[in-house]
Amino acid sequence: MPFTKTPTASKRSRAALTATAALALASTLAACGAAEEGGSEDEIVIGISLPLTGDFSEPGKGIQRGYEAWAEYVNANGGLLGRDVRLEMLDDQSSAERVAADYEKLINQEQVDLVVGPFSTRLVIPAAQVAQDYGYLFVEPAGAAPEVFEEGFENLFYAAPAVADDHYKLLAEHILAMPEAERPKTAAYASMDDPFAQGTAYGLKDALEEGGVKTVVDEVYPPNTTDFSSIAAKIADSKADIVVGGSQYQDGVNLIVALQQLDYQPKLAAFSTAPTETEFAEAIGDKTQGVIAPTGYTTKADYPENQEFVKFYEEKHGEAPGEDEANAWTTGQVVAAAVEAVECAEPDPECQAQLIDWLRENEVDTVVGPLSWDDKGRPQSAHMIQQWVDGEIKIVLPEDQAEAEFVFPKPAW
Amino acid sequence: MSASLLLQSLILGLLLGGLYALLAAGLTLYFGVMRVVMIAHSAFLILAAYLAWFFTKQTGLDPLLSLFITVPLFFAAGYGMQRALLSRLRPATLTMMSVLLTFAIALVIEGGLGYLFSGTQRRIQLGYSGASLELWGARIAVVKLIAFGLAAVSLLALFLLLKKTRFGQALRATIQHREAAQLLGIDTDRIAGFGFGLGLATAAVGGTALALDATIYPSLHWHWIGPLMAIIVIGGLGSIPGAAIAAMLLGVTQALLQIPMGTTWAQTVFYVALFATLMFRPQGFFGGRLAQRF
Repeated sequence: MPFTKTPTASKRSRAALTATAALALASTLAACGAAEEGGSEDEIVIGISLPLTGDFSEPGKGIQRGYEAWAEYVNANGGLLGRDVRLEMLDDQSSAERVAADYEKLINQEQVDLVVGPFSTRLVIPAAQVAQDYGYLFVEPAGAAPEVFEEGFENLFYAAPAVADDHYKLLAEHILAMPEAERPKTAAYASMDDPFAQGTAYGLKDALEEGGVKTVVDEVYPPNTTDFSSIAAKIADSKADIVVGGSQYQDGVNLIVALQQLDYQPKLAAFSTAPTETEFAEAIGDKTQGVIAPTGYTTKADYPENQEFVKFYEEKHGEAPGEDEANAWTTGQVVAAAVEAVECAEPDPECQAQLIDWLRENEVDTVVGPLSWDDKGRPQSAHMIQQWVDGEIKIVLPEDQAEAEFVFPKPAW
Repeated sequence: MSASLLLQSLILGLLLGGLYALLAAGLTLYFGVMRVVMIAHSAFLILAAYLAWFFTKQTGLDPLLSLFITVPLFFAAGYGMQRALLSRLRPATLTMMSVLLTFAIALVIEGGLGYLFSGTQRRIQLGYSGASLELWGARIAVVKLIAFGLAAVSLLALFLLLKKTRFGQALRATIQHREAAQLLGIDTDRIAGFGFGLGLATAAVGGTALALDATIYPSLHWHWIGPLMAIIVIGGLGSIPGAAIAAMLLGVTQALLQIPMGTTWAQTVFYVALFATLMFRPQGFFGGRLAQRF
């Protein structure tokens, strides 16, 4: 890989040089002719910086595919306000310094009409700051961690159903709505020491505690934990009615197997992330029945927007879109809804302010369902809840999207 | 804290300790034989775990059968590595340079695994991965019992090999006094190579035992090398029984501390014990004088 760096870098600097030269020329021309901002009159230019190389390049490329598919779809359907959409994409190499410089350049020099966000909390925050400084609307596809919403951004909207704390929201509501006799009385929680994973588990914990479900085990483990048998022993010994994992992949799987080895049979077992991964069934074998997980996106959700997205994406790429692609597409939809509603897409602060105000007050139909936001940009929906039924993971909540009945108590594993 | 949880934790701690003992055995052997700090030991464990996983995936056979391939393979690789690489390091800077060299080897293994099998986390799917036996109300997972059995058998075999065979005598002589062993006609270079091969062969067994009950990924070895290093220092560098005792004690302590203190603090037991050892008994608590006993 190191060999590719040099040519890319030199290519990039050459491209940058050409761009600067072109820009200088353009501004000279603009100065003596009619001022023309951004692209030509018949197109809307959307500026994006993405981690196409470096640490986040995998998800970054997923987001790129999503944005590109969305732009293509919009253009094939008459564009925005009758103008074609053109994406101006830069590579920030997963660097927080570069991402700020990139947005600075997109807004200041290239005067793009709109901007949308990059991938990951680490890049979203500096990018949002630049957008805020210039009064731009900033809709972003990745950045669920609480920090994003604590910076006081007035222009930021997270284009996904829920922040980490709310991932289990529908499950909490469902449990608390159970008749008194069936409702679980005790719960055990185990979570990785990680803001995202812990956020999910503690969101559910807070809701259940408020509803009277007693916490009997509350374990937090470091990300490098390899042995889960002791945590499992504690949970099994507590005989908690339900077990909740705030997990990533390997810890979730290891904990589930350790619990099975101790023959602990909870009435409900919910783990974030792990059960939705394709490798999960391969790892656990035929003992997945009844395991629950929240998910932000599934191709199976039957919102009309989603069906259209999946169809369009599959025709283009020959495979179903993943969560990253869906997040980018959702971001596009949110921006498009605002643009269509206020009928402007210009860099000037007045138009941008109108777009921001409109999103504050309205709901947008997207591939992940209808979205609306609070004053910090937190989405007000919830993740869907999926459950393993007969060797397949299916949506069980919300009820209007359900593919299968919610199974409770969980069959023995 | 209930009595059943205490018993359960004690059993889990013993099983864990057994696995630790097996994983650390090779590490203490390299140091005993050659004063080599082998950072790549845990990378070889993960390599063996991957080979076991790959073997099962390709053939559908039990991962334990992969030992017939990996043990001789690792022995040969260890011999080759010692002869071709480590023996070329200058004796004066051997310990330090071996850290750098084996660090590089660990990176090569990690990179190779990532290249061949991707960073996706893997787990061997066994029909009996969730099965367990009951003992006085506590549960013993079958896979953990197998891993413990493998550890016991390998360590016993290693011990007998070192104690009862001519090769073992030669190896111990090499460890104790290289020049004297040479005067007695022992080809210490070859013996050192065999010693290294033996260490790596234990990594093949240990990695396979590990793969029975763990999710594996290429960079997993970094999580293991710290605790394993702590074990061999506490046990006395070069002492296999010392490493075994230290491993069992630390495994049990970790499992029991887990109950009142939680995972994060229970894991620090390794480092607390390491500090205590270095402060009060730098030669290790169980090994006595460096590598004198086996």
